[in-house]
Amino acid sequence: MHQAPPSRVELLQGTLDLLILRTLLAGPTHGHAIAKHIQRTSEELLQVETGSLYPALHRLEAKGWIAASWELSDKGKRARYYRLTRSGRKQLATEQSKWRAFSRAMGLILNPADQEGQ
Amino acid sequence: MNSFFRKLRWLTERRSKEAELREELQFHLEEEADERQDEGMAAEEARWAARRELGNVMLVQEDTRAVWGWTIVEQLGQDLRYAFRTMAANRLFTLLAVTSLALGIGANTAIYSFMDSILLRSLPVSDPESLVVLNWHAKTAERDFVMHSISGTYDEPKSGATGGVFPFPAFELFRKKDSVFSVVFAHFQGWQVRKLNLTLKGQADLATGWNVSGDYFRGLGVSPAAGRLISPDDDQAGAPAVAVVSYGFSQRRFGGAASAAGQSILIDNVPFTVVGVTPPEFFGVDPAAAPDVYLPMHTNELLGAGKQFGFSSEAYLDQNYYWVQVMGRLRPGVSLAQAQAALAPAFQQWVASTAANDRERANLPALVVKEGAGGLDSLRRQYSQPLYVLMTLVGMILALACANVANLLLARAAARRREMALRLSVGAGRLRIVRQLLTESVLLASVGGALGIVLAIWGIRFLTLLLANGRANFTLHANLNWHVLGAAAALSLLTGVLFGLAPALESTRVDVVSALKETRAGRPQAGRAFRRVSLSQVLVLGQIAISLLMLVAAGLFVRTLSNLQSIELGFNRENVLLFRLDARNAGHTDPEIAAFYGDLRKRFSMIAGVRNASLSEDSLIDAGTGLPLGVSGAPPNDANRILTVGPAFFTTMQIPILAGRDIEERDRPGSPAVAVINEVFAKANFGDRNPLGQHLTLREAGEGARIARDMEIVGVSRNACYGGLTQKIPPVAYIPFNQGYPRPDQVVYALRTAGDPLRYVNSVREIVRQADARVPVSEVRTQVADINQTINQEITFAELCSGFAILALVIACVGLYGTVSYNVARRTGEIGIRMALGAQRGRVVRMVLREVMVLAAVGLAIGLAMALVASKFVASFLYGMKPNDPLALATAVATLLGAAIFASYAPARRASRIDPMAALRNE
Repeated sequence: MHQAPPSRVELLQGTLDLLILRTLLAGPTHGHAIAKHIQRTSEELLQVETGSLYPALHRLEAKGWIAASWELSDKGKRARYYRLTRSGRKQLATEQSKWRAFSRAMGLILNPADQEGQ
Repeated sequence: MNSFFRKLRWLTERRSKEAELREELQFHLEEEADERQDEGMAAEEARWAARRELGNVMLVQEDTRAVWGWTIVEQLGQDLRYAFRTMAANRLFTLLAVTSLALGIGANTAIYSFMDSILLRSLPVSDPESLVVLNWHAKTAERDFVMHSISGTYDEPKSGATGGVFPFPAFELFRKKDSVFSVVFAHFQGWQVRKLNLTLKGQADLATGWNVSGDYFRGLGVSPAAGRLISPDDDQAGAPAVAVVSYGFSQRRFGGAASAAGQSILIDNVPFTVVGVTPPEFFGVDPAAAPDVYLPMHTNELLGAGKQFGFSSEAYLDQNYYWVQVMGRLRPGVSLAQAQAALAPAFQQWVASTAANDRERANLPALVVKEGAGGLDSLRRQYSQPLYVLMTLVGMILALACANVANLLLARAAARRREMALRLSVGAGRLRIVRQLLTESVLLASVGGALGIVLAIWGIRFLTLLLANGRANFTLHANLNWHVLGAAAALSLLTGVLFGLAPALESTRVDVVSALKETRAGRPQAGRAFRRVSLSQVLVLGQIAISLLMLVAAGLFVRTLSNLQSIELGFNRENVLLFRLDARNAGHTDPEIAAFYGDLRKRFSMIAGVRNASLSEDSLIDAGTGLPLGVSGAPPNDANRILTVGPAFFTTMQIPILAGRDIEERDRPGSPAVAVINEVFAKANFGDRNPLGQHLTLREAGEGARIARDMEIVGVSRNACYGGLTQKIPPVAYIPFNQGYPRPDQVVYALRTAGDPLRYVNSVREIVRQADARVPVSEVRTQVADINQTINQEITFAELCSGFAILALVIACVGLYGTVSYNVARRTGEIGIRMALGAQRGRVVRMVLREVMVLAAVGLAIGLAMALVASKFVASFLYGMKPNDPLALATAVATLLGAAIFASYAPARRASRIDPMAALRNE
């Protein structure tokens, strides 16, 4: 009955924003590092498409949730660093609680046995 | 909002942001490559892997730019640039499309601006919505009616009689209804004030007046531009004579509003004080009249004193004399229906008490409360129907223009099939292409609309001239306002979308593969498509049908006009100068006034080039005087009419005398009274007997019926028009103007001239000035203009409709030409094969023409059916013919068929010139 976990998981619509915001909570960083961070932290389950990462970053910037500035990277190259703004923090909090509620609801429906067992 | 401003800032930093994005993505690639190198890849391989991982860089950039938020605006910019380029590249197409749209939109805007000013605009007074106009309605006012006499007008169409004038006691009744009204006021243009002789510092001029009750200005809520307005204290018997002048008049005659207040003037030789000036935008409550002077209604006694038909104060008590118009302002919260419910029973009760007998009681007028925000509806009554007809006509022109542009766009869409197929195949969205094509058509329509507004400005001026037809006091002024411009802009956009949508949708419904395979010579299935009913054929059918409608309308109106112009007048209209003098208002009195007029006639007749001169109380076309007149010894006959005339009247007007003689110089005051009668009079009163030497008796109007004149008939004249062009000629007695009652007030002189009558105007003015500078010369016009004024609407309709019909025909021909040319071009290959197989040129021409004729025949059949129904709506505008006049219909059909052949002959010939070899080589 047990299925092997898929090697890669497609990102759900709208979750990339949340992941980016959460990643930036640790501190300012550039796009490439954000992608790598998400990939590593999810144990390589989540693969961030570069094609959607940059539009997402710019969209969040347009909304004012993150801000960008040009900084020098660890290797001394000019890179565009993103950091969380105050309204971005608030947004992260609401998104997070929304997501928690959503995943609990999904869990309740998909694994009713677990709930009964408790 | 924040995000909006951020995006706005980004828009200005466009270029640097592009560079930043490139740098950011470059950094990403390097970072990725570095990482892979660290994992052990070769440098080159790592770079490629990074590239692959990033995917399509252009696409990433595109998607990111989309986030910046201005894609729609940018795409619109692109679309517009592209549309402009396409327009510039197809100059003929653009010219045809824009011109036909400009004509359509221009004509619509011009007519709409008239509708706006006549039918839709409110009075420029405070809170016009709470104003009401009082009317009465009855089955008929012709006979046995409580209205025994009237000063003013009422309408009597089939639906019954409607009037806006009331007896003064009724006005007083309404004044007591203060639960309904906050103010009730009366106003009217008494005949005495229609043309006032207004003398300021010795200089006389004519002015139009309006009588108002004391509450008029308060009721309308108008404040003075200078001085004060008329108050209830001014409107009392015995109050000092005051007047209020309009702003325009104060500018013309006093040199400004401020200097008008307080001035002394003579009105019809009675001293008045100008106490104030109305504001510039105020024109009274009747959009058809813009009075110069407002007078308290009680000044009518002053102006009427000593005149033979002058106003007398008995009118205030007369319950059966209808003469004052009443308006009111409803109290806040009172609706029109409530006012009607409250007032109608009260009026009903009052009017029943004024009936003299049971027959009058059986047909009492009922009160109708109408909304008064737009003032009196005199203009609306006169022009609303013609305007709706004109609006329909110009609407059809616009429909034609739209169909034309749609057709041109369709043809072009077909020519652009390969382009569209290419765009679709490289991934353009269908919506995006439709949007692009719609941008093109809306742009076309906008350019057409902008030009149309320019045309409309000319159109309005031209229409004003046409409607005024030389009348100096024409008060109807339409202009472009935001209202009208908004409508024009909306119309342009709407037409753009309307004619653009179908071709746009059609052109994106392309089977990409087959379209790309098409040869330049045409579609493989072109032959079949030609016989299938296509959208473009439907459009052409519609155009032919609409053009036929317009041609029929033009034919009907032109024939009506020619019928009117060929009416037997009974006199010679050419080379006659008419003008009016009013010496009575300038201070002349009996019996001297008759001598003054007679003396002037002699002096006019001595002007070099004037063959004859005479005078009458009115021009023949305006005439209409009924006084108790009958054959001596018999009671007066109501049908009889009189016209007071001067010596040589029949010679001057060239009305043949059938028996006896003209009125002559020897018929003077004191000599035996004479009369000349027309044939109708002779036939009605004397049958076959000889009327010469018989006597007529004229009595004074009113209850007394004193005998005024006993006249011997000295002549019988041929029938001549009297009181209008289309009226049945009544029995008329022409009597000398100077042989007693009715004594002359104002007169109209007629001068029979050699050559252009208007050349003699200066001599006339000089003679009058020398005789008495206080007497102004007014209403100077030729006899032809005098007649044309009565058929002004018919002339306007005939001219406009002919213009519209020609326009429609041209537009339809352009459409037909375009469609046929396009079809011929598409079928080049097929025609080439036919010719290669031995088809003669004539056969090819006939083949193309036959297809056009089928199209035209169907269009004509539809158009004829429409015309048969629609022409009934214009029946009331026609004279001397039935709405379905066969000649008009036949002319229209023949003209249209001719035009269709003309338009399609050139492309048909081109088809027959196709070189089979060249055509086949192209396949």
